[in-house]
Amino acid sequence: MTEKEATAQGEAPEPTQPPPSGRKNAYNTTVDGGGGLVRVGAPPSPLTVLGRAAGTIWSVPKARVGLILLAVFVLAAVFAPLLAPYAPTDNSFARAEGGSPAHPLGTTTAGEDVLSQLIYGSRVSVLVGMVAGFGATLIAVLLGMSWGYTRGFAADVINFFVNLFLVIPGLPLMIVLAAYLQGGGLAMIIFVVVITGWAWGARVLRSQTQSLRSRDFITAAQFSGESSFRIVFREILPNMTSLITGSFFGAATAAILAESGLSFLGLGDTAMVSWGSMLFWAQNSNAILTGQWVLLFAPGLCIALLATSLTLINFGVDGLSNPRLREGKGR
Amino acid sequence: MRYVLRKIGLLLLTLWAAVTLNFFLPRMMPGSPTDAAIAKLAQNGPVSPATRAAIEAQLGVPTGNIWDQYVTYLGNVLTLDFGVSYTFFPQSVSDLVLTALPWTLVMVGVVTIVAFVLGTLLGVLAAWKRGTFLDSLPTLTGTFTSAFPYFWTALLLLFFLGYVLQWFPTSGAYSARATPNLSAAFIADAAYHAVLPAVTILITSLGGWILGMRNTMINTLGDDYVTFAEANGLKPRAVALKYAARNAILPNLTGFGLALGGVVGGSLLVERVFNYPGVGYLLYNAVTNQDFPLMQALFLMITVSVLVANFIVDVLYGYLDPRTRR
Amino acid sequence: MQRRRRSRWPLFGSALGVAALLATSACTVDVPTEDDNNDGGGADGTSMLLAADNGSPTFDRNFNPYSPGKRTTTTLIYEPLFVTNTLDGTETPFLASEKEQPDPATVIFTIREDVTWSDGEAFTPDDVVFTFDLLKEFPALDTNGVWALIESIEVDGQDVVIHLTGDNVPAAAIIQKTIIVPEHLWADVEDPTTYTNEDPVGTGPYALGEFTPNEYTLERNEEYWQVENVAAQELILPASNTQLDVVNNGYDWAYAFMSDVENTWVAAAEGNTFWFPPGGTIALFPNLTMAPFDNPEFRLGLSAALDRDRIADVAEEGYVDAAGMSGLLLPNQEAFLNPDLPDGGAVAQDVDAALTHFEAAGYTMSGDQLVDSAGTPLALTLTTPNGWTDWLRGATEVQTQLAAVGIEVTLNQPQPAAYQQELQNGNFQLSMGSFGGTGSIYEDFSRLLSSEFLQPVGTTTTANFQRYSDPDTDALLAELRVTLDEARQLEIAQELQTVMFEQAPVISMFYGGLWGLFSEANFTGWPSEEDPYASPATWDANPLLVLTNIEAAG
Repeated sequence: MTEKEATAQGEAPEPTQPPPSGRKNAYNTTVDGGGGLVRVGAPPSPLTVLGRAAGTIWSVPKARVGLILLAVFVLAAVFAPLLAPYAPTDNSFARAEGGSPAHPLGTTTAGEDVLSQLIYGSRVSVLVGMVAGFGATLIAVLLGMSWGYTRGFAADVINFFVNLFLVIPGLPLMIVLAAYLQGGGLAMIIFVVVITGWAWGARVLRSQTQSLRSRDFITAAQFSGESSFRIVFREILPNMTSLITGSFFGAATAAILAESGLSFLGLGDTAMVSWGSMLFWAQNSNAILTGQWVLLFAPGLCIALLATSLTLINFGVDGLSNPRLREGKGR
Repeated sequence: MRYVLRKIGLLLLTLWAAVTLNFFLPRMMPGSPTDAAIAKLAQNGPVSPATRAAIEAQLGVPTGNIWDQYVTYLGNVLTLDFGVSYTFFPQSVSDLVLTALPWTLVMVGVVTIVAFVLGTLLGVLAAWKRGTFLDSLPTLTGTFTSAFPYFWTALLLLFFLGYVLQWFPTSGAYSARATPNLSAAFIADAAYHAVLPAVTILITSLGGWILGMRNTMINTLGDDYVTFAEANGLKPRAVALKYAARNAILPNLTGFGLALGGVVGGSLLVERVFNYPGVGYLLYNAVTNQDFPLMQALFLMITVSVLVANFIVDVLYGYLDPRTRR
Repeated sequence: MQRRRRSRWPLFGSALGVAALLATSACTVDVPTEDDNNDGGGADGTSMLLAADNGSPTFDRNFNPYSPGKRTTTTLIYEPLFVTNTLDGTETPFLASEKEQPDPATVIFTIREDVTWSDGEAFTPDDVVFTFDLLKEFPALDTNGVWALIESIEVDGQDVVIHLTGDNVPAAAIIQKTIIVPEHLWADVEDPTTYTNEDPVGTGPYALGEFTPNEYTLERNEEYWQVENVAAQELILPASNTQLDVVNNGYDWAYAFMSDVENTWVAAAEGNTFWFPPGGTIALFPNLTMAPFDNPEFRLGLSAALDRDRIADVAEEGYVDAAGMSGLLLPNQEAFLNPDLPDGGAVAQDVDAALTHFEAAGYTMSGDQLVDSAGTPLALTLTTPNGWTDWLRGATEVQTQLAAVGIEVTLNQPQPAAYQQELQNGNFQLSMGSFGGTGSIYEDFSRLLSSEFLQPVGTTTTANFQRYSDPDTDALLAELRVTLDEARQLEIAQELQTVMFEQAPVISMFYGGLWGLFSEANFTGWPSEEDPYASPATWDANPLLVLTNIEAAG
């Protein structure tokens, strides 16, 4: 699984999602220590937890850089119409121009402004990352945690589905689905990325749920007659905030990379301006030959930077649940 | 034993489901193999109405009831007879797969092993020398490079090392006039051609292993037994390597097993950019040409290898770490 | 013809892509040559580097001329009876020296004498008859559908007499394209549909030289009947012909759309030239079974609303011309052009005229939207295959231009296979499509307009995708099919152009280019605008015309 398909399945190389088994925490005896410490009986308000979590993340320099980087991309996406000098599909300029004051990054072979495309392109990546990351995480949480908590037949059924989605090659599956759902535009891409990207997170979350299941405070809750649903989502879930947040960033990274891969293969909506489709067009019109290496370089760099920002943030998220991973502290 | 039997039962069930999905998924795609063939011909000029009939007759595209096709397919899977490819007619699917497989297995397989070993070592080093240059350099570089889209890394290498500097060939798995054989000259030639695709995969996958190993290693270094060993006066180097690293590598091995299983699937985008004649490229051809027989065989092969790797890891884990055996 | 190789990857997918088959060729063991990609280029002036056949990514050794997965150059090893210049329909005799049509239901080909197969056996009229019988026995090989036209076939001395199923003058043009194979070898082939013919024996100017999965060569057939016209001693065909390769490796002949061709290909080496003649017409195909497209006024409105020069410019980066509404490829087929068509059939953008037509069709402007009598704004879907990037650019421009006359256009981009299916089944409103370029006026118009191909929406048809049906047009086509009178043929061709112009069954927009890149460093006399004796296409029989016409340079 050395390829994009791996990435698509959420094996995106990023730190929280432990090496695929997701069983890192089986070795980690203090999962619920640290910043987001939650104990049964007196759950602090979610806002407090969030605030404390944000503080912890911000205190990690790497994560800080990541947050700033992410903020830049999000702002670019939101304010694209204000920031971009031209409309991204305005093809009324001279073709294949080099950089000039009017077009700092030049124009495409179709006569569009590269800088404007780059700015507008952030919209697709940011949106796909957010929405697909959220969707995949949601499915992963629901299935992964139920899977981890239940035993017997139900667990086997879920195990079966998760395994199925884990073993089907991701990128080809995406290609098939994309062909089938042709013309669906961005929604289609997001759907495809979610469908192929949730299984990994589910596996990771199951392991953690399993390990928490046998803790005393869960046993206590069981004896006090709480429903399984309540135990899973009110008792266990808060203890996994950081893991879930990590899953989200991991899934978002994978989604961004997956979208760019699909668009690069020309299987997304090639009429839509995204970084992946910019690379598709650059490759298509042979930017290398026309000396327009910016066309190849810039969109890829943006994808890499956006994905990096999410991974960097995860360094901070790691520290939330696991003080040992916090920066600045020796062992 | 019951644990293993149950796992095997689940494995077989998943296998059947995957095989079934492999059958129905491609058939959901709009357009038939004939349409795909015509679409390709149409790129070269007008396709005469007679051509369609001829192609349909030649490919022998199945027309019967889908249920019958499914039963036939299951039988074929059991006997490993996948028939003739539509795209590469009249070649048999097995021949195509067997031709492509060695390239992928060797190139992607070697890189996966190298990336794992190198990444793990760097991860151990980073965790051990935490907070120093030896930590931040590999960690940050790894974070950044692992965020590169595969195809972009491939394009950049192709542009700079292949096109501008002309150090390495930009496409194919061996030289123009070479015929695959096992001579030293050919192997050297093939290795030379594998450099760019291999480096692409290395660059983009190394970071994941570094970060993964670093994290587990840091965790392990904080564990009681490590502290205990240190307190007993063992040398830090011995502690790091003998105790911490050995335990920390366990979860990473899982990932490695799965990555090895995934090697069979090749690396579609990288093989595509470099015109590398491996399984990933074959898969791309199969999917974009609606080549059902080829697609089924490849999906099956990838699925089985990932499943088997997954299964071995699962069983192994049950023994290595009884805590996960419930 | 038209579209590109530039689909998703430059220079990919030749006809039916073909695979790596290391296994089949593993019998010849040799060591890689030192120069890997830079060989060829014809330093000695007689060797030619060609980007004509693309591996996917390597070559499969298949030289069966009837196989969709054949090596492209199989058509240089075997020959047909006649080769038609697809640009203007001119015919050049190859294995037949003459053709006669004594009546509209008979064609007589006089078979060339003194031709031998490359294994030394004599080529005879019996080989021709054998070939046709083979196609009859195995319909899967009959890719031109000749047995839909032929009743019977017989040998008369050096002549092959073909009796057609009915009066059918244009049939000869299809029949003569048939590639002839040797009876003494093919008679023993058990199943010619799956036969890969690894060691081809043909009559053509070239024979297979060395074959490896990444590159093969064709050597000149020194016994070829017109060997004196064949300048290139050896053809080198690499499997990888990316645009990078084409520009850097000194190709003599390549077929590729290249962005900014002057600064890439032409600038790469002394003597590099290009020629992009029209090879087909790219048009909007309206689905004539549904409103509002069933109304000619509406179609004429669409036609008048488009700025074709702009569309051509956007779609093909200015390398092709806008197409008029005559249905002809100009200037190739200028000789057939109806002089009564205003501006030679060209239609300039005229928004007022468009609105007048739309009004006649029941649509009026309301604010900035075109609405029907009930006040509902008009919204259309335009289908274009995913990955055919020039069409997509054209379609996007159409979208913009139609928005200016108040029509909202949504793009639908299915994968190419699904696009074919939607087109064939009539499952579209407005679709990008192409027509023409066969070299035969009858074929071009018949495939586009004949109700012979008419099928209801939902049923597959192989031509007339827009589902046009008009008894008068059918009558014209029927007459064109049976008349031997060339003056009458011309008249009918011109009347058909009037149908195209006035009825607008499809809305022609721009020409699809044939992207020929040539180098005059080693060979001269390539087809060009001044001497359009062949198209720049590197497939089908066209290379036979080119390679028997070029000369070694200097």
